[in-house]
Amino acid sequence: MSGPLAGLHVLDMGWVMVGPVTGRYLADLGAEVVKLESARRVDPLRTLGPFKDGKPGLERSISYHNLNAGKRSLTVDIKDPRGREAILRLVDWADVVIESFSPGVLEGLQLDYPRIAARNPRIIMVSTSLLGQTGPHARGTSGVGTMGAAMSGASLLLGWPDHPPCGTYGPWTDSVAPRFIVPSVLAALHRRRSTGEGCHIDVAQAEAGIQFLSPAWYQYAANGTVPQRRGHAGSPLKAPEGLYRCSGKDRWIAIDASAVDTWQRFRLVVGDSLRDPGFDTLIGRLRRRQALDDAINTWTAPQDANALERRLQAAGVPAHVVSSAHDLAHDPDLTGDHYRTINDPVVGDAVIEGPRFRLDRTPTRETRRGPRIGEHTHEILRDICGYDSDAIATLEAAGILK
Amino acid sequence: MLSDIRVIELSAPETMMAGRILADLGADVIVVEPPGGAPGRRLDPFLGDTPGIERSLTWHALNRGKRGITLDLAQDDGRVLLADLGRSAALVLEAAQGCASEPRIAVSFPHTSVRCRITPFLSTGAKRDYQASDLIVTAATGVPGITGHPDRPPLFYPVPQSIMEAGAEAAIASLAALAARDADGRGQDIEVPARLAGMMSALSVPIVVPAGNPGLQRTPARQQLAGISLPGIYACQDGYVLISLAFGQAFGPMTQRLMRWAVEQGCLEARLGALDWPTVPQQVEKGSLGAADIQAAVDGIRALCAKHTKADFGAAARRLGLLAAPLMDMQDIDQSLQYRERGLWSSPVTLGPDGPAVRDPARFAQFSNYTIDVARPAPTLSQHTAEILASELGLSSLEIQALFVHGII
Repeated sequence: MSGPLAGLHVLDMGWVMVGPVTGRYLADLGAEVVKLESARRVDPLRTLGPFKDGKPGLERSISYHNLNAGKRSLTVDIKDPRGREAILRLVDWADVVIESFSPGVLEGLQLDYPRIAARNPRIIMVSTSLLGQTGPHARGTSGVGTMGAAMSGASLLLGWPDHPPCGTYGPWTDSVAPRFIVPSVLAALHRRRSTGEGCHIDVAQAEAGIQFLSPAWYQYAANGTVPQRRGHAGSPLKAPEGLYRCSGKDRWIAIDASAVDTWQRFRLVVGDSLRDPGFDTLIGRLRRRQALDDAINTWTAPQDANALERRLQAAGVPAHVVSSAHDLAHDPDLTGDHYRTINDPVVGDAVIEGPRFRLDRTPTRETRRGPRIGEHTHEILRDICGYDSDAIATLEAAGILK
Repeated sequence: MLSDIRVIELSAPETMMAGRILADLGADVIVVEPPGGAPGRRLDPFLGDTPGIERSLTWHALNRGKRGITLDLAQDDGRVLLADLGRSAALVLEAAQGCASEPRIAVSFPHTSVRCRITPFLSTGAKRDYQASDLIVTAATGVPGITGHPDRPPLFYPVPQSIMEAGAEAAIASLAALAARDADGRGQDIEVPARLAGMMSALSVPIVVPAGNPGLQRTPARQQLAGISLPGIYACQDGYVLISLAFGQAFGPMTQRLMRWAVEQGCLEARLGALDWPTVPQQVEKGSLGAADIQAAVDGIRALCAKHTKADFGAAARRLGLLAAPLMDMQDIDQSLQYRERGLWSSPVTLGPDGPAVRDPARFAQFSNYTIDVARPAPTLSQHTAEILASELGLSSLEIQALFVHGII
């Protein structure tokens, strides 16, 4: 059985992460995705690592493959009227268009939603940017997902109370926004199947980030408390719960043994150092949290994190190493059924991630490599846009296919 | 948009965001809880910092827009009623209570239903028997390992994230299966491992080592130039601002404009503002720029930030086109003209029987012909049980009372 979106056509005009991840979800689900690129203004993702074997190169970014797996690439200059015409022919073909230009850019190119919809009223067009297309600050705000994280409240929540905030690891809203864009697109497609209606979907990446922090918003709105960075990983309402140091450099294990049954099991595994009757009750453990955490740290510190994880889990205690890049690469939970090996003419074999869910009847499409810049320009112009070889040669000679 | 879709959500912390997104997109979502209340009702923070089954703010945030019933699925009557109700459902959302390998609840749904289950790890993987919680799954995503300072333990958000990641991913998977169902009328089983969902926020961390690169160190300033760390966050008059010093063709011009502004503000030597910032890394490599120059630029940015407020900086970032943004807290978000005028906020949502009404940042997307709004506040415990059992399943008043007497509802 083919993927659930087999037969769906997607024009992905996004770059870096949010647009491309949205396109990759649709490609994994069986859609045919054409990515618009430019060899003159290269997708910055191609300049970001990790690169295969650490050697930079526009065709060596594994991140690019990871976010663009299974797409075809077209290079065309959309600022040129002839390039714009090619895009409009793709609009005729497409069911979904994704764009992440700075707000106002597509209007300047006369490729904004009203013009796209006039050409193809059934189209579902996604525009995504840091603050969206509307509102007093939308125009003029463009940038990267670390800024989205800052404006969604996330960056300030990460850090230690005695130290300036650390901020998120990387452009956090880039990973959050697609989780709201893809459901919006799929819901709009569901509606279109019965009504034929297309629509424009405008997602502000910072607003998407706020969704993942909504309990913090409610805490402020209802209680008047402005949530602050806490540092300590565990909840102040649970003990023991948190991170404990293991042997080796920067090795940590997360343990959650606060609930009564897991606490009993954990105590049996640790033995003597937790026998203190002061630790019998939750209130006792909360009041003596420091002594409790010290005792656990003394016990974990000489142990290997991975072995300890297995030992605690075998005893039914929720525990996991704080995974590093090395741990993720070698974790048997992931090497078995998550990573995919692609083969690419430039980088050879490389490992990227597979889909993040399993559909048992309509499996996602086999994970393929990402395209090279403009790799499919000719076939797309011929097969989708309907240009003959003379017309393509003319466009090529005019320098529009770069 | 999903007005013809009914969703039965067997409530667990991991299902809450999934049901919320689907309700926001128009689905009729019915939350099923045990008679004592769903685990999500015991998640902090609480209204007025006073705990209570109707007082969890996490519950309110993630369940508004849904209806709620109670059913004891440990009893035959509860399971039969769920199966009866399931006949009207396009989608059933559930989560493994403990580990991925535990069996699903023994209720059969029609072959037309999509059944989506969130597990902590992969049910086919080496960790299928692992017990988990939000802390455990989040630790396994790779995000905390790379967040924070190298000399301190890894950092976690003070808001649980794996339940958000898993729930949102489950919404995608469910809608994908519903698309297949639109085509052929058939349902299917879905599995969403929360760990895989959360790994999305680790960005490229999982693929760094397999690509033949060394691992990554946890540090807030990942960029170094001429041996000088380039901080990403700077103190300003009333808080902090984020500034990315980026180079190259796409983002380098934004750094150029920042440096020019710093010169205008008297915080940076004109000579440094006049450098060709997009190519500064190459100039460092060639040796035409040294550590002292880079340090002077960082000090200049620090001085620039110290003389401005968050709001000044946000305005300058928009005016000049800088790769910079204020670090906003929830109060800033509340007061933001942008979020307000754009229409992020729903109409006020009531928090429980005696609680206040608060605005909800509901509109995660603006549609040209659909508006996300919050149809109703989160259900109080068992709020819609009698209504749904009577109107949907045709139970009599006497039967509903009997179910209550036996602790089934």
